Amino acid sequence: MSASANPAVAIRVVDVRKHFGGIVVAENVNLEIDAGEILGLIGPNGAGKTTLFNLISGIHSPDGGEIWLRDRPLGGLSVYRRARLGIARTWQNIRLFPTLSVLDNLLMGPRHYPGEALFAGLFQPGARRAAAQAAQARAEAILARIGLETVRDKVPGELPFGQQKLVGLARTLMNDGEVLLLDEPMAGVEGQVYETIKQVVRDEAAAGRAVCVVEHNVSFIRDLCTRAVFMFNGRIEQSGTVEELLASDKLAELYFGGKK
Amino acid sequence: MFDLPILLQIGWTSVATSTYYVLFALAFALTLKVAQVWNFVQAGTMGLAFYAMFAAMLGWGWPHPAGFVFGLAIAIAVSMAVEVWGYRVLRRRRSSPLLLFIFAIVVAEFVAYLLSLLFGTEPQSLTKSLASEVHLVGGVAISSWDLNALALTAAACAALFAFLRFTRQGQFLYAVADNGELAELYGISANRAYLIAMVIAATLVSVGVYLYGTRASMIPSAPLELMLLAVIATILGGIGSLLGAGLAAVFLSVLQSASILVIPSQWQSSLTYLVLFVVILFFPTGFRVPAWLRRG
Amino acid sequence: MEYIYSVLILIGIYTIMASSFNLIIGFGGLISIAHPIFFALAAYASALLNLRLGVPIPLAIVLGALFSAGMSVMLSLPSLRVSGDYLLIASIGFQLGFVEVIKNIDFAGAASGLTGIESLFSGPFRSLGFTVTILVIAAAVVWLVHWLTHGEYGRAIHAMRDDEECFASLGRNAMAIKITIFAVGSGLAGLAGALYAHYFQFLSPEQFGIIQSALILTMVVVGGMGTTAGPVVGALLLTALPQVITFLNLPPSIMAPLQGMLYTGLVLVFLFVRPAGLVGKKLRQ
Repeated sequence: MSASANPAVAIRVVDVRKHFGGIVVAENVNLEIDAGEILGLIGPNGAGKTTLFNLISGIHSPDGGEIWLRDRPLGGLSVYRRARLGIARTWQNIRLFPTLSVLDNLLMGPRHYPGEALFAGLFQPGARRAAAQAAQARAEAILARIGLETVRDKVPGELPFGQQKLVGLARTLMNDGEVLLLDEPMAGVEGQVYETIKQVVRDEAAAGRAVCVVEHNVSFIRDLCTRAVFMFNGRIEQSGTVEELLASDKLAELYFGGKK
Repeated sequence: MFDLPILLQIGWTSVATSTYYVLFALAFALTLKVAQVWNFVQAGTMGLAFYAMFAAMLGWGWPHPAGFVFGLAIAIAVSMAVEVWGYRVLRRRRSSPLLLFIFAIVVAEFVAYLLSLLFGTEPQSLTKSLASEVHLVGGVAISSWDLNALALTAAACAALFAFLRFTRQGQFLYAVADNGELAELYGISANRAYLIAMVIAATLVSVGVYLYGTRASMIPSAPLELMLLAVIATILGGIGSLLGAGLAAVFLSVLQSASILVIPSQWQSSLTYLVLFVVILFFPTGFRVPAWLRRG
Repeated sequence: MEYIYSVLILIGIYTIMASSFNLIIGFGGLISIAHPIFFALAAYASALLNLRLGVPIPLAIVLGALFSAGMSVMLSLPSLRVSGDYLLIASIGFQLGFVEVIKNIDFAGAASGLTGIESLFSGPFRSLGFTVTILVIAAAVVWLVHWLTHGEYGRAIHAMRDDEECFASLGRNAMAIKITIFAVGSGLAGLAGALYAHYFQFLSPEQFGIIQSALILTMVVVGGMGTTAGPVVGALLLTALPQVITFLNLPPSIMAPLQGMLYTGLVLVFLFVRPAGLVGKKLRQ
């Protein structure tokens, strides 16, 4: 399998299948996420959307097929290596570190964490200090951009749900990578938080990142995504523009169980 | 060194002595499968069962069946207590696996110390004489202990299999082993399943300890080392597979006995530990057993 | 006076052991009962390097500690690749197996033990010199563990304990951190072991059995897992306690199991009644 001829394609999922025991969670999945686009991934619960994210980020290995990041096959690479290559994701249940402050949560996020390699840090204190300062500056910039400066020293448990979601998103931005996988960023969110997230997603795509969003919120998908993919029972049933998908009878039947 | 009669003898004897290992391994594998707990407390149960039988049979002069039942009762009582007042409490508190481990290991150690306080560290057996009637079959010495052991173990395995496959409670154990939360949704009590698994394990272990005590001698620290083989067998047989654990136990016992042919006896006990590392390094998910057998 | 020195030295040694074990189990969340074995490995290595190869004692001690750290990687790397549970299993095997193996190695003194180990200090101020050295090193170790577990590296450890999968998805190498913690902790245990060897000048396999693991575990659990002061408190308490029991003048066949029951019993009590230990406020369960 050769690398994609189109340099705009960041993630390519090719013929991927995955099963757990007897249950097939992904079958014949083919997908591309282009740099600069916002791809919508829709489908009912259990359709395999989060599984797909898990396959791309490396939590599961596919039983068949391949996944590519630009011209690089991801097969065999562990989760943390893929993150260091520039694949960042959020989670349905946010998953902030409860014992760390908001700022410290963000400081866990850069691709290379200054405090991680103990011995390297001991022998090159200058480089480590510089990296730490850069990370700190970046974290504070992101907090300012998203409007979270006032809560930087609070612990996630002290924050309302909407703000926790923003922190989760902010942490992902620390990765500064090519790919952003957002798992239901709008679930349970409204008002100012909704607008903030929407703007951030737009800006990230505009900056050239490949963004894929799993969402049930139809207006969000209409607003932001140009392309969308509909998954059902581990398969991609339909893909195309958002308008095409939303008008489709097949989708209505599978998703809502009947004609609209 | 490799002549046939000796090989046959070693083969036969090692299979006969694998019987108690099989029982220990099945017990450990069962609690791991159903309750997802590495039940090192089993070493404590083994010790208590043995010394209870010892006290009854050689201390109070009870006949063997009565002594065995006494030991069995103690083993079951202790297992139930550990489950209800130990594991269940820690589970309810959502304790980390770390704490569950600490608990299990520490209970096993506590029991070992208690037993050495009460009974001393001299080796003890359940019979005054370990010799039993021997028949020569084709040049191989077959003792009546061997035959009894094989019969008892086969019966125990058959009973276990029948229970798990054909009774409702047995099915529930499988359901909880698969997915405890889902089973709860269907009205199956996970706690009850854990308790039953512990009781069954205590029973298997009591039989095993009786067999061991009528052939070899026990000291308070022995159960922990006997357990190690059970643990290796469970891993080697594939976690979740009772049949695998049993077969692996036989294999390891034969290996241990056969090793006398190639390595000096002083290194024999070190062999078990070497095997442990080999298994962890190369077979952590078990020696490939075909999927259709794994359902055992 | 000599008696008081040796008690202080034991307190120092156990403080190092408990602190380093706390690093591994309390902060790192890795369970292993082989900690005394890394103590023993360095003790033997240092003693033998000096006795048989003439390596100067301070260097032998350092090499012994490094040897322990290296061996710990051999234990942790294959085990952790599978899961944390396997580290426990492997460490049990390591603990039991080491004693077996040492009993058969003649140049290490086999079962009867290794005698005639050289002392680090000699002369009239030997014990005083040792006491001061070990207490200073113990303080340094406690400080080191504190430094490691607070600050940037400490934050990473906490995040890893909170949610390892999420931690990895951010680009953090959890395996490397665990192996490093295990190696540092084991190396420190080795340091304690080598110092022990060159003070008491006698090693035998019986000194490194399960009872040592139980003792150190008790110190950490009773003192308070995941705290800096906990292991120190635990070490103080549990070095003093057996001394009290010795004064009861019980026969050894009763004393030894009684001690064992005391240690393990204490762990069980604290596990259920006060899991945070004496010092800890909120146990990271």
